[in-house]
Amino acid sequence: MTHERITLLLADDDHTIVDSLAPFLERAGFDVLVADNGATALEKASSRHPDAIILDVLMPRMDGREVLRRLRRENNWVPTILLTQVGESSERALALEEGADDYLNKPFDPHELLARVRAVLRRAHPGERSLSAAWLLKAEDLVLDRRARRVLLAGKVLELTPKALAVLEYLMIHPDEVVSRERLLDAVWGWAYPAPTRTVDTRMAELRRVLSDDPTAPRYIETVSGEGYRFNLPVRGES
Amino acid sequence: MFKKIGFSLLVVALPLLLGGLASVLAQVFFQPVPILIFKIDIGIVALLTGLTLTLLMSTFYLGMWIREQQTRMKLDGAQHEAEMSRRRFVRRLDHEIKNPLTGLRAALANLRETRSQDEHERAIKNADHAVERLSNLLADLRKLSELEERPLERLPIDIPQLLQEIIEAAQVSPAHKDRQINLIITRVPWPLPNVTGDRDLLGLAIYNLIENALKFTSKDDSVEIRALEDGRTIVIEVADTGSGIASDDLQNIFEELYRGSNARGVEGSGLGLALVRRIVALHGGAVDVRSRQQEPCGTVFTLRLPISRV
Repeated sequence: MTHERITLLLADDDHTIVDSLAPFLERAGFDVLVADNGATALEKASSRHPDAIILDVLMPRMDGREVLRRLRRENNWVPTILLTQVGESSERALALEEGADDYLNKPFDPHELLARVRAVLRRAHPGERSLSAAWLLKAEDLVLDRRARRVLLAGKVLELTPKALAVLEYLMIHPDEVVSRERLLDAVWGWAYPAPTRTVDTRMAELRRVLSDDPTAPRYIETVSGEGYRFNLPVRGES
Repeated sequence: MFKKIGFSLLVVALPLLLGGLASVLAQVFFQPVPILIFKIDIGIVALLTGLTLTLLMSTFYLGMWIREQQTRMKLDGAQHEAEMSRRRFVRRLDHEIKNPLTGLRAALANLRETRSQDEHERAIKNADHAVERLSNLLADLRKLSELEERPLERLPIDIPQLLQEIIEAAQVSPAHKDRQINLIITRVPWPLPNVTGDRDLLGLAIYNLIENALKFTSKDDSVEIRALEDGRTIVIEVADTGSGIASDDLQNIFEELYRGSNARGVEGSGLGLALVRRIVALHGGAVDVRSRQQEPCGTVFTLRLPISRV
């Protein structure tokens, strides 16, 4: 029996990026397909069935967002990382509709990309809509309504600042995964701040207070010493 | 503005006033009041009416034309200034990118040519450093452009607590370990009121000022942060006893990518103070700087932020 290697599709129109990233990902043990425009990416995604896709946004013939939208319309839920940044509210809603599994903004460290690829592969359930494309996130009695930007605990609406809500959202989309403060900053705040620990911890304290979560015996969010945070309960997504 | 309108009204009303005055005087001093009777050719009346209307209309249009010219000149001036500032920005950006890129090229050349393991490692370290510098520059440029677009969080901020946190964060960084920063907060007769705004952004602005103060001073210098209120605003000062900023530089230091004469050779994106100015303006406040290079020398940055209305 041959051991099947995991196949990635890497779509970017910049040859220097593809030429360096593809061998890097191959060294990490993946088979890598490449595409230098959106139309080819869409064609290869449908015909070659990669296990995950890394998609740049600005590409000739069809942009990455459009590729993703079309894949999702065909009910193709292959885990996809979009190489762009999710900004504030309006863009966040857009990101939700296009259904990417993760975002990574250029310029990035290739090791970070590798970590993200492994994480989306680990999270993926073949053929299923991913949590990142779900409108409602449910973990026992905690419900996050992403469209209404509202959190309910045992049916009661919680008072949360938009930032704290976005932090909770990110953690719930990545359950059982250690998320570093830097990654939270990048995903929720969009930029790195000079005092990352403080910036994130202030919101985390707010979240825990509102959720009545005891940090020493956490039900929802656990602090992983020196590494970051982890959402502990299983999460179900509903559209 | 109102003064100008008042003056114009006076000029316009002056003939009427003088006429009225003459009429009153005539009634008082002439008895009987002299009566003027004259005959006039109807052609002349038509001509005079035409002439009067033409004069009135040309005055009106001439005024409009002059006003238009003035507005255009002002606009041209503003456009010119914007264009000059854009050119300055591009020139400075060119400079900021050139240096790390040259370093990167040199490191790559070394990597290709050297056989020694030591030099190999050094080249990789230098390349990493150059990439980090470019990334930091890009990150700060993005912050600056995103500030214009992203919605501002508006929540009450406890300034003393924020200052304490930012000072601790600055002291944690390896470059500024063991540096003493004094924090003075006025508490009598009442504690400092809150400021409404985006805690993370204001924290970033204050951090940039504190980091600058630490970067441009030595271990023996003092750095002091003070916060007080004057009834309408909260005043936050970041003061140091460093070597000061040249007076020629003072008016430009808040410009994007501007580097003062003593800032060359010190690492930074050149965007820190531009970010401070933008963030403070978004909060309805202002930032100012005083500095001197003669003894006793030093620099004071002053932030003024409006107090939350409860």
